[in-house]
Amino acid sequence: MTTAKRAPYLQVFKTFLRNSLVREMTFRSNFVIQCISSLSWTVMNLGFYLLIFSHADQIGPDTGWGKYEFFVFLSTTMFINTFVQAFFMPNAQEFSELIRRGNLDFALLKPIDTQFLISLSKVEWSACANFMAAGVLFIFSVWQLMARPENPLSLSWFAIVLYLFYLACGVVILYSLMISLAATSIWLGRNQSLYNFWFYITNFARYPMEIYQQGWGLPLWFLFTFIVPVLVVVNVPARLMAQPVAETSPSTTFLAVFAVVATVGSFVASRWIFTRALLSYRSASS
Amino acid sequence: MRIMADSYARRSRSSDSYFRRNKDFQTSLNGAGLYQNPVISSNVVHVLVSLLGILSLCAGQLPTYNRLLMSLIEIKNLAKTYRVYQKKEGLGASLRGLFHREYREVQAVRGINLRVEQGEFVAFLGPNGAGKTTTLKLLSGVINPTEGSATVMGHIPWKRENPYRRRFALVMGQKNQLWWDLPAQESFRLHQQIYCVEPARFQRTLDELSELLDVGNLMKQPVRELSLGERMKMELIAALLHSPEVLFLDEPTIGLDVVAQHKIQQFLKFYQEKRKITILLTSHYMKDVAALCKRVVVINQGQIQYDGSLTGIVDQFSGHKIVTLQFGKDDSISGLERFGEVLEIQPPKAKIRIERTRVAKNLATILSDHSIEDVVVEDPPLEQVIAEVFAQVGGHEDQDNPDEHSRVMD
Repeated sequence: MTTAKRAPYLQVFKTFLRNSLVREMTFRSNFVIQCISSLSWTVMNLGFYLLIFSHADQIGPDTGWGKYEFFVFLSTTMFINTFVQAFFMPNAQEFSELIRRGNLDFALLKPIDTQFLISLSKVEWSACANFMAAGVLFIFSVWQLMARPENPLSLSWFAIVLYLFYLACGVVILYSLMISLAATSIWLGRNQSLYNFWFYITNFARYPMEIYQQGWGLPLWFLFTFIVPVLVVVNVPARLMAQPVAETSPSTTFLAVFAVVATVGSFVASRWIFTRALLSYRSASS
Repeated sequence: MRIMADSYARRSRSSDSYFRRNKDFQTSLNGAGLYQNPVISSNVVHVLVSLLGILSLCAGQLPTYNRLLMSLIEIKNLAKTYRVYQKKEGLGASLRGLFHREYREVQAVRGINLRVEQGEFVAFLGPNGAGKTTTLKLLSGVINPTEGSATVMGHIPWKRENPYRRRFALVMGQKNQLWWDLPAQESFRLHQQIYCVEPARFQRTLDELSELLDVGNLMKQPVRELSLGERMKMELIAALLHSPEVLFLDEPTIGLDVVAQHKIQQFLKFYQEKRKITILLTSHYMKDVAALCKRVVVINQGQIQYDGSLTGIVDQFSGHKIVTLQFGKDDSISGLERFGEVLEIQPPKAKIRIERTRVAKNLATILSDHSIEDVVVEDPPLEQVIAEVFAQVGGHEDQDNPDEHSRVMD
């Protein structure tokens, strides 16, 4: 009998990257405008936080989120967001259209994992601009933290590896959320709330979780940490990077372990939802 | 003795397709190329497979035997029902619909039985919404059936197993799968990777297909800049790059001009004859069907109403002949109503529709009463007969049992 052939996933992904780049280059002006508009949004955002830090030294007493710590946090948010926007956002957005018009048919015919195919086939290269901006902000802020006279930050290779690992975890959690939400459009027929939902979610995820840990913020904190674990996404890598003193504290360790559990859990759940949803696919008329 | 020979032939024919699953064998067949005569290789296969069949029979391997007897495509009582939200007119009703919804069951396919052998080119005919496309979608595993079973090359389509998905293709005239903003070439390369086609074989197949369809110079042009006909050709190439053994075509010539239609027909005919692949086609153009398919399956309201040859439709469903008479100069054209329905009178010619059984008797009477210079007796146009079949069946559809109408051709 035939030996099972596996589609070369990495090679296919490279072709996705290549084809998307070719496409973006075809519409040069669109590419440039997208880069500029997303960069200006980032700059405005940064300006806003600079203003806030001209009124206060840190976010809340004893949270450890001073100006540059917070900028590490902010660049972490940007890293994760641009990653998701580059790889998954255009596809999740298109998924809803594929279902409504019945073009998912073609994806289902291909001898390759359907979730892989629809999650990655388009890549938005213009997100690179923001990614580089985030890189500059990150390096500058970490350098500031390392150069400050009192309690300077010492950066180990282990910390960098850990940071990258949790960045990846964050991306997986957000991806899982996004694809689960997109998959619901199979049942709903149409789901246009994707962008809105994304905005709400990232709005909660882009602040240090200490903000929520008092008063009536606690239920929110609980909801967005343990039920829909978006608070973990940025908080864990950013805290490990910017506040290594707290690295050994039980709460940080607990969060770090929980982040791994949340990542695996979200991914498994999203896979389940996606597969279930595909069973209900009806395919629009020809 | 005759029965034995027949079953033997059938067994070896369908086991041919079973045997093709072997990877090495498949590669060598495809390696034989498009222009090489496949008869030689298929003869060798027949001998080999017959031997295998006999051996397995001797060994008492019943499952293998059953598999060898299977048709390439087997459909049993296949049914698909959709639940559709019944929207009512008006704002008030729409608001009520938010809380209380009424649903209607739409039976797109109701109990279809069909067997297709390897190498057949079968057309599905039927009006819009008859269930043709739904059947093709079920067979490609895009949607799940409500009831019934189907196997294609031994696979259950809706399990969506990769070994199955590598062996068939679906082309839809109204949908496109190529990247809109990129040259078709880029989409082809992606297909090569997804279907694991070796680079050398990919290039060979691509060259052959683009030469046959005459699109070699369009490969580098973005798909959005191609005409509808050119795009359809590209879609066909994309679907055939992995050399599928079964091809489902859903209205591949829809919206195309006569030249493009003809070109695609020619291509399909040539390709099917060379490669001996199995094709199921749906089309509204009778010319497609007449040019390509020996076997026609008429589907209406989700059921098979007819299964046989195209000309057989006229024999089975039309009880009339069209008789054209040319009268002599002095003859008066009158009193024709008693022979049949008068379709048109343009002196000196008249056209009458006469019941098939009465053609000879009526003609004799007419010939003796009038001075006739010329007579033409012909079948009514095929498209008209088919239109009548659709309309006729639609009328008393509900009391019908699908099995009464389907005539499975063996």
